[in-house]
Amino acid sequence: MGELSRNYQIDDDITPIVKEMTQGAINLFEGSAGETGPSQFTDEATARDVLGTEGTVASGRMSLTFAIEMLRRYFGADVFNHSGMVDLRFLRPVRPGDTITFSGKISGISREANGSKISVAITAQNQKGDTTGVGQGSAIVPNAYLPPED
Amino acid sequence: MVEADNKILLDWDALEVGETFEKYEYVLTQEMIDTYRKGVMDPEAGFPTIAHKVDVKQYNAKYRDNGSVNARCAFYCYSPPIAGKKITVRAWISDKYLRRGKNYIVTEAVSVDEDGRLIDRVITHELKQPSEVGKKWGS
Repeated sequence: MGELSRNYQIDDDITPIVKEMTQGAINLFEGSAGETGPSQFTDEATARDVLGTEGTVASGRMSLTFAIEMLRRYFGADVFNHSGMVDLRFLRPVRPGDTITFSGKISGISREANGSKISVAITAQNQKGDTTGVGQGSAIVPNAYLPPED
Repeated sequence: MVEADNKILLDWDALEVGETFEKYEYVLTQEMIDTYRKGVMDPEAGFPTIAHKVDVKQYNAKYRDNGSVNARCAFYCYSPPIAGKKITVRAWISDKYLRRGKNYIVTEAVSVDEDGRLIDRVITHELKQPSEVGKKWGS
């Protein structure tokens, strides 16, 4: 359950999450949808042919998943899984062996018909400090989860 | 490949925004969910549908191109899917644009389960010149 009566403030930091990318994790992600053939995500030769990269890359959808996880942990599953969203732009490839840190900061709070929309600026960085993705996410926090107004 | 022969070679200029694809249906199994959660290292991950890439599934079934790179993706959560339920996906081309001489296609899809529960919505911007990745980040 999400925390009751949590206060949200602009510039509040979201607790970061860190993911260590492995080829095994990428293979599981791709395989979970029944994709078993070679792809730029799972096969070096295909990655070289299609992308021109030396090795495989992780699907941007894995980064999207991690950003979703960060916000779900922050807002609570009961809130985020029913009103959350993430919009992420992928700036650099994420590769096996990379350690990616996802962080966020509250960037906006606005009233909605069914609560308050809390917006978060999201950044993903690899172990070198390079930004691999940026974007924003949000969730509609019901009024019952917000402190009472004066 | 026979499958490739049946596909239409993508003509980006001719591609119509608003083109809607045939619906796509699949059953989300517990094994799919478990595998996904292991892959993303999150035992509570609620939307294994992300890995199914349903927004481009029917596009890829219809068109042949040089591949693609995901440049941007938005995902809206409505209800985590339930194992064993059939999921129906409706997808369409929601936009296309040319930026810095490169072609992009935007696909959008909405998933609903067999009980009518709205699951999620995904919007993906795909760069249709995937070799650009190697040119910029190849090493």
